[in-house]
Amino acid sequence: MSARLWLLQLSTPLLAILFGALVSSAIILAIGKNPLDVYTLMIRFNVTRADSIASILFKTTPLILAGLAVALSFRAALWNIGVEGQYYIGALCAAVVAFGVKGLPAVVHLPLTMAAAVIGGMAWALVPIALKLRRGAHEVITTIMMNHIAAATILYFLTDVLRDPTQVGTPRVRTPIFEPTARIPSMRGVLDAIGFQIPGYSSLNWLLPVGVALAIALYLLLSRTRFGYEVRAMALNPDAAEAGGIRIGRVQFTMFMLSGAVAGLVGLNDVLGFFGYLDIDFPKGLGFLGISIALLAKNNPLGVIPSALLIAFLDRGAQGVQVFAGVPREVITILQAVIILAIVVAYELLTRYVRNVRKREAGRVVAAAGPVLEPGG
Amino acid sequence: MEVVSVLFDMALIASAIRLTVPIVLAALGAVFSERGGVINIGLEGIMIMGTFFGAVGTLYGGPTVGVFAAVTAGVAFAAIHALVTITFRVDQIISGVVLNLLAVGLARFLNILLFGVATQSPGIGGFAPVSIPLLRDVPGLRPVATGISPLILVAILLVFVGQWVLVRTKFGLRLRAVGENPAAADTLGVNVYLMRYLGVLISGALAGMAGAYLAIEQGRGYLEGMTQGRGFIALAAMIFGNWWPIGALGASALFGYFDALSLRVVVLNVPHQFLNVLPHIVTILVLAGFVRRARPPAADGVPYTKGEES
Repeated sequence: MSARLWLLQLSTPLLAILFGALVSSAIILAIGKNPLDVYTLMIRFNVTRADSIASILFKTTPLILAGLAVALSFRAALWNIGVEGQYYIGALCAAVVAFGVKGLPAVVHLPLTMAAAVIGGMAWALVPIALKLRRGAHEVITTIMMNHIAAATILYFLTDVLRDPTQVGTPRVRTPIFEPTARIPSMRGVLDAIGFQIPGYSSLNWLLPVGVALAIALYLLLSRTRFGYEVRAMALNPDAAEAGGIRIGRVQFTMFMLSGAVAGLVGLNDVLGFFGYLDIDFPKGLGFLGISIALLAKNNPLGVIPSALLIAFLDRGAQGVQVFAGVPREVITILQAVIILAIVVAYELLTRYVRNVRKREAGRVVAAAGPVLEPGG
Repeated sequence: MEVVSVLFDMALIASAIRLTVPIVLAALGAVFSERGGVINIGLEGIMIMGTFFGAVGTLYGGPTVGVFAAVTAGVAFAAIHALVTITFRVDQIISGVVLNLLAVGLARFLNILLFGVATQSPGIGGFAPVSIPLLRDVPGLRPVATGISPLILVAILLVFVGQWVLVRTKFGLRLRAVGENPAAADTLGVNVYLMRYLGVLISGALAGMAGAYLAIEQGRGYLEGMTQGRGFIALAAMIFGNWWPIGALGASALFGYFDALSLRVVVLNVPHQFLNVLPHIVTILVLAGFVRRARPPAADGVPYTKGEES
């Protein structure tokens, strides 16, 4: 019985991906292309080209962080749709420390820069959670409004306050180049040492292992500690948890601030690990992808890693099919959304099915035990 | 003194009215959805669909066709939300968020397909402007009463019709019952699922229309990101308006006013980026209840299962 349920649980994401692929096939057919050719091209482009693998891994880093940030809030039954804005502000704070502070050794400067990003993310998360707990403002809308405010704030600072003076007069709107001591080092040295030399791998930096380690640490926090138990109890039944002595407001606050802290790191992969300056064109939309990843992973920090890999895989593949098959990469965005929708529906139906099976079994046990309970003659 | 006259300038009021329309249409939709007990965070996505199909419809058949296309697209998009949340009982927030993501991708994709570029459609023409017969002769009101879009009048009319439907009709009563206590409504023979479906579909039609207004009368074409979070602002307006159409109209007017004010960059010596986010800041303040406390329908956001204890 339980083996069958396990199998069901594992097959749900696969079924959902299949459903997503079917919908995308219909779209690809509608624009006059052969879906099988497109999928073959996509997979070949992704797995046979060495630089694709490096690119997928590079894209995975911020997606793991964004997925974790969203999952942390979702775990606490809070909807942090504001990871997007939180990482803008995180990147902005990091940039200020990265070019503004000079003469520190890297062991001090880099952690300081990352701490600035974390503080920026938390500061931006503080507003919605404080307003929710104190005034009952729904965090979905306040975080989205905070995203808009973050976008305007970063635009203002980049164009009017922090813009590199040597770039004025050019169309380039960016901060001065960061101090080398604030950059996240490339993994190139280690990869060379173990003989893993692929084109494009120099962009891979140490934030990737940090993200993976963070996922594991958060998994342990949520599954093995007292705090993790409180989070689970609260998510299952807030009233019962409260009655059991768990201070719900405090747990929610902590989880939301953790979410904001992790969100602050999302932009660093590109800003500190690759470009070395904060540019007006720095990657956007990672917070929203984080929502997809958290949902795919069912808010499990470990599940975030394969989910982020899948999204990165699709994203890289989208570049391939756009260039080589002339299929707009937006097909992949649609595919992502359809997969997520299919997965949440499948999870929901599965949960209901499992509940019914359990209920029936419990009923049978009770029925079997029934006669014993009757008063004996 | 000069600032005061700027703040209550008739041209500013006229612009505020124009900017109120898309917010109030979406907010009215939100009222219908949430009165039935379904939170529709996907309004923004539905509005995006409305802007796109509104522009395309207008391009091929004129503004009336544009509005019709946008409403149809809005209903179709809302149907996904209804199916996923009412029939499959998936969390309403998740479904709405995913719909918003889907809408962005879909609009870009369809735009590429039709026009070759991802982010904007060719320019389109709007409705022939109308004037309000009596008001236009009042000298001070000229900017407000002349040269306005017929959609503005339709929107205001819909608000009052919406209020009447919710308060006076059997449908409105049933819809509200389903949002307050679905189990009780069910025992009285009200089809809970049907009512909820209708509420969500109406919200889709209205949000689609809101998008059409933005594309046809405001933007004269589809432009990516032109909704600027108005779907969410509309949700705030609905809450501020205490889940009633006329309340939502008042709240939307407030947002429309700040929206209009934010367009007046030159008169106030503040960086324009900060004026642009004025409506968003007002939204946060409103939600934080600095103005008034309101009570949502009791079963808002709670999936209903026939014959199961909730």
